[in-house]
Amino acid sequence: MRRIRVADAWALFLLAFVLLGYVYTPHDPMAQVFRENALDGPSVSHWLGIDGLGRDFLSRLWRGGANTVSLAACALGITLSLAAGLVAIEQRGPIWCRRSVRMLIGLWVALPVIFIGLFLLVFLKPSPGALVLAVGLGNMAFAFRQLRVYWISTREALYVKSSEVLGSRGWQLFRWAIWPNLKPDLFALCRLLFAISALELSGLAFLGLIGDPDFAELGSILKQNQAYVYQAPMLVVLPGAFLSSILLSLHLTRFHR
Amino acid sequence: MTSKVSGNSLHGKSGQARLFLIESRRFLIIFLVASLGLFAAINAMPEDPVSLRVKNPDPERIQEIRDSLGLNDPAPIRYLRYVGSFVTLDWGNSLISGRSVREEIARFLPATIELSVLGIGFGTMLGVMLVLVAHATGWPWLLQPVRGLAALGLTVPIFWIGLLLVLFISVHLGWLPVGGRYDFAYGAPSGTGFLLLDSLLAGDFQAMGIALQHLVLPVLTLGLYPAAVVAGTLEARLSEGYIQRLITALQSRGFSPVRIWGKHVLRLVSGPVVTVIGTQSGALLGGAVLTETVYSWPGMGRFLVDGVLNRDLFVIQNGLLLIVVLALVVVTLSDVVANRLDRRLTSKEDSA
Repeated sequence: MRRIRVADAWALFLLAFVLLGYVYTPHDPMAQVFRENALDGPSVSHWLGIDGLGRDFLSRLWRGGANTVSLAACALGITLSLAAGLVAIEQRGPIWCRRSVRMLIGLWVALPVIFIGLFLLVFLKPSPGALVLAVGLGNMAFAFRQLRVYWISTREALYVKSSEVLGSRGWQLFRWAIWPNLKPDLFALCRLLFAISALELSGLAFLGLIGDPDFAELGSILKQNQAYVYQAPMLVVLPGAFLSSILLSLHLTRFHR
Repeated sequence: MTSKVSGNSLHGKSGQARLFLIESRRFLIIFLVASLGLFAAINAMPEDPVSLRVKNPDPERIQEIRDSLGLNDPAPIRYLRYVGSFVTLDWGNSLISGRSVREEIARFLPATIELSVLGIGFGTMLGVMLVLVAHATGWPWLLQPVRGLAALGLTVPIFWIGLLLVLFISVHLGWLPVGGRYDFAYGAPSGTGFLLLDSLLAGDFQAMGIALQHLVLPVLTLGLYPAAVVAGTLEARLSEGYIQRLITALQSRGFSPVRIWGKHVLRLVSGPVVTVIGTQSGALLGGAVLTETVYSWPGMGRFLVDGVLNRDLFVIQNGLLLIVVLALVVVTLSDVVANRLDRRLTSKEDSA
């Protein structure tokens, strides 16, 4: 039986724990019901204290982590599917398609994510969805380049060519010859893109581009609590520490090896 | 795209002219695509930017203002006027403050450029120094921060680091100002808008000291990401076979480590470093916007974000296009510089 490493088990546990924030939080993360105790420190009923608008901070942090992780996962999905589609067009499409894909990618890498976000928000209302779209689109060029390199190096490998000669075609070829050797690279790319997406997403939220300032996302929580940095520094320190520890745990995993 | 022109065509005057032509054609195409895209996005704006600004929404009055701004003309004419006015620097007035967009940008842009140039410069120097010194001395404890730095760029949000620095150094220790660009209780030197340059030209060292104090933390924050990227690139490049062979060859000739690493290796790896700075300039720009927000630095980032959120038409259409043009200039310049550095030096070191 394959041994599960401590780092991988910890990362899985942490992700599951963070996502639990959708199902259960000690208090309602949006309801401003503890206004008279605003900015109180930790206590038995509120483990991390209460934020400036009278909400239980632990609940907010928990829900915020869940939102950040799932929004970043959505952005990762958009990026990967766009990049995979573009690689398919670039590899198999007619010649003018290939040229225009390369041209598009050449233009795209010059555009920073923050610009794509601002550009989208010119005609979209500021919302979490718009930010996910911006981050997903923004990382497309990078993902395309990586994915293309992985695909070509695997597709042109000798063992793939040999199994093609032996009569393997289509899905069979992909499943048994290409996929096992594409998988580790793909996992590593996913992990990298997830970290980049989460950081960019919370960065855009920190700039106030997420629309609703009360939306529980680690970046926007940080932004909202920046006003109380003198009275309650923990309100600013903890969201960043939470995000960093999630990303660090993922960074230390070895799933793909 | 420049990889298409390779080999001998780059040498000599005609090759350079061709490279220039290709770069400027690419530049023009991207400018046209970006301006068209921006124009389309502004047309698809859900709310009418003029009626958002008028206090009592009287349809006739709104139409009058739209007419006077030329917003009711057919789209092709508006697009041509847009590009024309952008190129001639006639950028109109903000719909909210009524101030000239060009004057606002002339106020905010130098602050952003000052911060970005210093941040990228500091980050690049930090990355290069760390890696080169670690390899030259062979001290393993110096390589640890290099690897830590790379992990830092992928796990820790840059704005959070900025906030932590403010909390610890400015609030807790009280060593440096909390934010802003200058303490305007003292008169600021005027001129180009670059405070360091202005105070140097005026010989006002007190003003320069104040400006520097405000710069330390933002530059430190902004420099971390370029340092991580540059260090990573250098590490990868230094482990390549031919560099290792070159180092062995130079060592066998009895050259001092300072000469080997500071002169030959540094020149050989400067090409990729310039390229990576160029291709990462977008990410660096994003970092600059976040850093500006953390330190309430009066720069372009805040100006543009507020402009977009407030649907401030002329700020959006000229400010965003200007940022694209600037990012393009940086990418193009770094491409040209890296191309020249790389080719000339590889051929030189190989023949040596």
